[in-house]
Amino acid sequence: MSVRRDNLEQGTPDAAALIEAVLLVSPRPVTLPALLSATALPESEARAALEALGARYSSESSGIVLREVAGGYQLATNPSCEAAVERFREEARPAPLSGAAHEVLSCVLYLGPLTRAGVNAARGVNSDAVVRNLLDRNLLIEAGRDQTKPGAPALLDVTEDFLLAAGARSRDDFPALAEIVDEAEISRVRERVSGAAERPVEAPHGGDG
Amino acid sequence: MNTEKGEPKGRTLASFTIELDVYSGPYEGLLALILKDELEIFEVPLRELVSLYRNANPPAPPGEAPGALERDTDFVDSATSLILLKGRALAPYSAEAEGEDAEEGPSPEDLEERLVTYLKIKRGAEALRERISGNAAYYPSVHALHPRPGRLRISPNRLATAARRAFLRTAEPGVGHLGTVTVTVGELVALIRSALVRGPVSFEDLVRDMDRLRSAVAFAAALSLAAQGRLTLTQPEPFGPLTLEPPK
Repeated sequence: MSVRRDNLEQGTPDAAALIEAVLLVSPRPVTLPALLSATALPESEARAALEALGARYSSESSGIVLREVAGGYQLATNPSCEAAVERFREEARPAPLSGAAHEVLSCVLYLGPLTRAGVNAARGVNSDAVVRNLLDRNLLIEAGRDQTKPGAPALLDVTEDFLLAAGARSRDDFPALAEIVDEAEISRVRERVSGAAERPVEAPHGGDG
Repeated sequence: MNTEKGEPKGRTLASFTIELDVYSGPYEGLLALILKDELEIFEVPLRELVSLYRNANPPAPPGEAPGALERDTDFVDSATSLILLKGRALAPYSAEAEGEDAEEGPSPEDLEERLVTYLKIKRGAEALRERISGNAAYYPSVHALHPRPGRLRISPNRLATAARRAFLRTAEPGVGHLGTVTVTVGELVALIRSALVRGPVSFEDLVRDMDRLRSAVAFAAALSLAAQGRLTLTQPEPFGPLTLEPPK
């Protein structure tokens, strides 16, 4: 710590100070290549400095934390200080997303990039309004077109803001669906469907249905 | 809901407001929009709606919430109608299945696959909800500096790309495949009027020897004459035979 202060007093900031300064002036996560380009540091030194900053800005001891999100590094407030920050900023947190919105995000994250029709088919209901809302919130983006479908519909994908909201470094940071869903639960669904298919179905209104 | 004693005291259904992705405002407004087909019933999360109602109107001991029973009854009444509507909308073949060419539903294997996929999506959504809510309390640095005039470095290539995008005109679609229009609505109006002198005429007979363009213009001419009240169009069923009759 004293070496760092000495360096700063002598006008030769160390690697951690340089990175700290760049992160402070960026509201978006800064990628490692961008940090290297701005600070002119070698990669090994930058990585060591980021580790040191991570320890300095730990959630146990600091009101600011260093996050590794959305493919970069970002300085953010410690969640334990949220009440004070929200009082100071005099603003409420945006309304939480609905269950339908989480389902659409889950569809696009795990099955995507996906067209709107693909989302509707996966959920079994029309989800256009929910998709619109997520596009407005910049959690989804139209990233290209599906040239194999008639009319080349837009393909939806998750955004950097989505990764930020979920605190994820990248798409690979999410657990695989197989880990989330209990195999026993899937077996129960399969059994229920095959059981229903084996049972004779009563025709509605006495018709041949 | 009006009763013999007049408007019940306490909160009524009219004061129940909701905040959904697809709609925000009074509950009764939502019902009106659905009934007017201005909002798809597919898009209304009914479970969330019921939760909102329960949160807004928690159960109270008898006597402490006058009018609560009437209000709850009204809500249950409207909510069951919504469930019925949504059920019908989600199973569009149920009513038609009684008829002849009813489409077959998905096979048990397809249904099983769809349900399993949906189950996975649902569990993924639950995990996402937890993750997003756990990360909602981070506030990033807001030290976004304004660029200083004259100090901003922009590469010429980037500027050229931006200019290209700004001044780009979308290519107009070609119309070469449409062919030349060689007939006017006026000509076919005259043709229809002369045919009608002999009495009602079938549209099919009228356009029998015409090409696609003339048939389309003849249809436009017939619509135009019908709109002016100079003929009556009769079609017993959708896509059925169309008959042109002189005005009565």
